[in-house]
Amino acid sequence: MDMTFVTNLLLASVHMATPLIFLALAELYSQRAGLVHIGIEGLAAIGSLTGFLVSYISGSPMTGMFLGALMGILVNMIYAYATITLCAEQTVYGMIINIFALALASFIYRVYFGAGASLAQVNLMSTLSSALGITSDNFFVELLLDQTLMVYLAYGLVLFTAVYFNKTKSGLNYKAVGEYPKAAATLGINVIGVKYVASIICGALAGMGGAYLTTCYSTTYVDGNVAGRGFIALAAVIFGRWSAGGVLLACLFFGFCDALQIRLQISGSSMPYQFFQMIPYIATVAVLTLIGAKKAGPKGAGKPYRKEER
Amino acid sequence: MKHSGKLISVLVPLVSVMMAFVIGCAIIAILGASPVTALQALWTGAFGTARNISTTLSRATPLIFTSLCACFAYRCGVFNLGGEGQFMMGSIICCYIATRTGLTGLPAILLCLLAGAVFGGLWAMIPGILKVFRGQNEMIISIMLNYVASLFMSVIYTNWLRDGTVPQTAAVPDETRLTRIFGRATTGFLIALVVGALIYYFLFNTSMGFQLRAVGLNMTTAEYNGFAVKKYILLSFIVSGAIAGLGGSAELLGTQYRLISGFASGYGFDGVAMALIGQLHPLATMAVAIFFAALRVGSTAMQTATGVPTSVSDIIQALVIVFTVAGLAMVKLPSFKTALARLHMKKEAA
Repeated sequence: MDMTFVTNLLLASVHMATPLIFLALAELYSQRAGLVHIGIEGLAAIGSLTGFLVSYISGSPMTGMFLGALMGILVNMIYAYATITLCAEQTVYGMIINIFALALASFIYRVYFGAGASLAQVNLMSTLSSALGITSDNFFVELLLDQTLMVYLAYGLVLFTAVYFNKTKSGLNYKAVGEYPKAAATLGINVIGVKYVASIICGALAGMGGAYLTTCYSTTYVDGNVAGRGFIALAAVIFGRWSAGGVLLACLFFGFCDALQIRLQISGSSMPYQFFQMIPYIATVAVLTLIGAKKAGPKGAGKPYRKEER
Repeated sequence: MKHSGKLISVLVPLVSVMMAFVIGCAIIAILGASPVTALQALWTGAFGTARNISTTLSRATPLIFTSLCACFAYRCGVFNLGGEGQFMMGSIICCYIATRTGLTGLPAILLCLLAGAVFGGLWAMIPGILKVFRGQNEMIISIMLNYVASLFMSVIYTNWLRDGTVPQTAAVPDETRLTRIFGRATTGFLIALVVGALIYYFLFNTSMGFQLRAVGLNMTTAEYNGFAVKKYILLSFIVSGAIAGLGGSAELLGTQYRLISGFASGYGFDGVAMALIGQLHPLATMAVAIFFAALRVGSTAMQTATGVPTSVSDIIQALVIVFTVAGLAMVKLPSFKTALARLHMKKEAA
């Protein structure tokens, strides 16, 4: 095992962790307001398709990313209305969002490109170093500068989230909604309002996480390109014990697993490549098994909030 | 009041189906096709001829299995989202037995079906055990195992059991295939019906079924009543996985004959959708599965007739579930109940 293998692996880990960070933060913002969301995968799928389509039409990955976020919000409003206003069961409705958003994404792709059309491709977002005109294969230059804007945004968001939830009054109020909505309501916090805001943030972040896959990672769109990342993000939130820093570490770990499987696949082993592809999924199961079920999440998560009930 | 509750539980899905079709027709119109022609083609495609009906029933068969799989586990309060993986594991062992052991005919069929159920059950046991002994989130685990199963199946048809240059396995020999009883529908459809009936009987006519449902309704209460909650959760996972695995075998022996890329893809989540629309009633769930299959079969005819892509049927399906579950939640809202009660009183006063 030589140095380039290791450095490439680390660079790829950062690359693969970024979409997970967006998706896991989406889940975190949702859960902190008491909404367990297993539909992140679906939101990411529709965000991914929108990002792809928009940057294909407009030629601008940035616009694609922006509209991907918007589409994520739109679809998540269905979830928000059903679970917050109608008090539908959250896990069930999250599942429905998966089914609906995946069907919608594949339908739009099919309608726009037609069946059996040649594979459409888009340009990817440029990295900071290429925008600055720096070319270097130094590991640290690559790690710090050869990244798209989205990578910096992801880490900025993690930092912001950590400060927001722990150091600001608004953040503590937000968390109170997820812990004990009735007490929050007696303090004058608009519980329903916070839950809707949470759903908007969640939709936007999940849409961006999905759009990352088609504007910064792969030049093509295929059905199922999110490949379970929405669910892995859910595991990352549990593994990261519902804190921004923990979630970041969990995402880097899962990103590492993903990078490892890609590296091992191209390393020319005689083992069928599918076994390497299993690594992120098996790692998720293994991690969840190891940490067990210490309940550290928001106590009000998963329960509907009915104003009129006492 | 109980009477009106039953009525509502039938009305909500029906209204949802209508709403979904209205939106579906709007999409078809936007795409520039005539909704009337499209719907006609959809109907004839699914039910127009005896042959089409048999195609619908054949397409419904795997869906019935995966929807019963989701239904059974959720009756016990656990969300088994791994139906797809369990279905695949069943079909993988079935494929091995049917194409590699040299066994043929009825013994092979019986062994295949049995092994499929066992493998599906074992695969479902993993999330079951992790749920019971580690308190883990069964949804994430079962979904992760779907990906693992799907990749494993890919190893099977691209490597281990590959037959020829195309990445696919050898076909199940003629004498091991399930008998066709009506057009394309095979005995697999009958097996699905029998499984559905058995589940119905088990859930509503046996004391074990009652206890299992009690665990599903309220785990704490069930625990206080001395019901072995953990045992039931594990059991529900294993049985639910066995149903899916049996379905995988039946699908391979009855319809697909070989494992290829895309086999069973999406069946797991579809099964969950159908179980939810059928409100976890095994018989209603089977009816929903047949309806979904009809939509799929009909949409192919619709595509030929109007050029509207078949995936519009996926949108309609998804909308049905979006509306059904939202609607069912809505009628449970206190404000809706008071409005309904007020309406009742007015009627009685009049």
